[in-house]
Amino acid sequence: MSTKPAGYRYRERPRLPDLAYKLAIFAASVVLLTYVLAPFAWLVSSSFQTEAEIVSVPPHWIPHEPTLENFEAIFFYDQEEVTYESRSKADPASGGYIPSTAKSLLPAMWNSFKVAIAVVILNLLVGVPAAYAMAKIRFKGRNASVYTILTTRVIPDIALVVPFFLVIKNLGLLDSLWALILTYLAITVPFTVFILVGYFESLPDDLDKAARIDGCSRFQTLTRVFLPLAVPSLVAVILFTFLTSWNEFLLALMFTQTQAAQTLPIIVASFTSDFTISFSFINAAGVVAVIPPVIVAIMFERYIVSGLTAGAVKG
Amino acid sequence: MTRLLPARLADALARRFNYDTRSAMLFIAPVMTVLAVVAVFPIAYSLYLSFFKLKLTRPHRVPFVWFDNYIDLLGDGLFWSSVGRTVYFSVISVTAIAVLAMLIALLLNETFRGRRILSAILLIPWAIPTVANGLMWKWIYDSGYGALNGLLLQLGWIDKYLIWLGDPDKTIPLIANAFVWKEVPLATILILVTMKSIPADLYRAAKVDGANVMQRFVHITLPSLKPGFALVAIYETMMAIRHFDLFFILTEGGPGEASHVSAWHVYAETFRNLSFGTGSALAYMMAIVTFVLAYFIIRTLGRRI
Repeated sequence: MSTKPAGYRYRERPRLPDLAYKLAIFAASVVLLTYVLAPFAWLVSSSFQTEAEIVSVPPHWIPHEPTLENFEAIFFYDQEEVTYESRSKADPASGGYIPSTAKSLLPAMWNSFKVAIAVVILNLLVGVPAAYAMAKIRFKGRNASVYTILTTRVIPDIALVVPFFLVIKNLGLLDSLWALILTYLAITVPFTVFILVGYFESLPDDLDKAARIDGCSRFQTLTRVFLPLAVPSLVAVILFTFLTSWNEFLLALMFTQTQAAQTLPIIVASFTSDFTISFSFINAAGVVAVIPPVIVAIMFERYIVSGLTAGAVKG
Repeated sequence: MTRLLPARLADALARRFNYDTRSAMLFIAPVMTVLAVVAVFPIAYSLYLSFFKLKLTRPHRVPFVWFDNYIDLLGDGLFWSSVGRTVYFSVISVTAIAVLAMLIALLLNETFRGRRILSAILLIPWAIPTVANGLMWKWIYDSGYGALNGLLLQLGWIDKYLIWLGDPDKTIPLIANAFVWKEVPLATILILVTMKSIPADLYRAAKVDGANVMQRFVHITLPSLKPGFALVAIYETMMAIRHFDLFFILTEGGPGEASHVSAWHVYAETFRNLSFGTGSALAYMMAIVTFVLAYFIIRTLGRRI
């Protein structure tokens, strides 16, 4: 007995409370899973239902006759033209109608992807050197730049819409992907710098000194010493920036007008305001929009959580 | 960099600043340029615009009107009722977010099998686009075929299908629910970090002193979570005040004016009335409120960097 650590007896719980504890944890987990997944499961389930089944009362929680027709309409759009005749054949009361804009979902997804990639690259290009300088170089104006970053981080996007709209209109950039790429920098760059500063700060100053003594320039110190060490925070930055751009709605709504520049959220939103479109089709569009972010979130959970905590708490 | 500049300017810079300062300025220049163009300039420009009577329906006559836009807004009943709705929406959302996040954090703070999978799944609402979140809840709330009616009917809690979003009394709480569902994961992560930083010694000491679970929660956990709650409260209030997407997808400010919140007011003034002057004034007031709220966060975080 003497080999056991002190306090060992305290940890030894009687059997029954232990079981109760496990049951409580299990019950709480089930409640949490239901809260998070139930709405989501209903979205997915609805997307596999037929036009007739989606309007059953009470609803079918699990499709009785699952169908892929909604996804086919999105991914293989060699459907018959929607004409007055084919449209009026569909029953408007049951919403039995797949819109002709179904085929613009994939191009919109491609637009979203292009914008997100460009925003990620620009974020890294401007964010990494700035974060390194703010974290590791003592210079005049360092505090001022830190506060600029923090202040710009809280500017509400809705306050940017009006001035942006006029500027973009005057530059003739309305309805171009460039308008989105530029304006998304406002909502992503501050957070990027913020996360990276926090991470660079957590790396020892001695690394910086050693590299400088060994004759590295500031630029070499950054690229050869700090960048390889910063990979986890770079992953977090890439994920956040990508998701923010992919999901952004307000600015895209204001600055795009045609399929040339409309992103995925805009097309999906346009379905929801059209009462003639089948609910099951709208849900399928929703599923298509959430799949990439959900995969990213679950695969990179560790990076996201560490990035969010570093970005919000530690600084 | 110095090589990219004219020789005389380079010399002057080299004499004025040491190597570290010069490289720091070079490293920071791109970010500051970007932020000046996409953040500082628009905010300044919107202040400037807010002094003009700028209507896109009348683009050639844009008189300078001093504070008329602000005075017009402050005298407008719709403005005040929209502020009231925003406050209502923010208060119920932030309260619900804080409580739910704390409960979930208490669960995830325990060690049990499947905890990691659970926290990964919890990220789903955070990750999905607001638009998808909006259409999902719009469909759940649907008064004809939605899941909420179906579920309540099958449980026997209602005997006929009810109207949800179309009922002015329920609109804002229902939108808040959709907002909360999406915001809870982030808040949970923030609270969980604070919870993990509570020294285990405190709990051990309290146990020795005979404190039970409830007493330990009230006297140790809750007070230690104060900074976490403060951060969540301020951050989520900022998010709730500016929130636009769900109002657009779910109700478009309706029914009637039941969900006409301040963020919707900015949109309606600017893009429906095409009145860019008052739109700017509104947006500017919103930015100022946000800055006041954020002051606390900026101060604490700024000191720590």
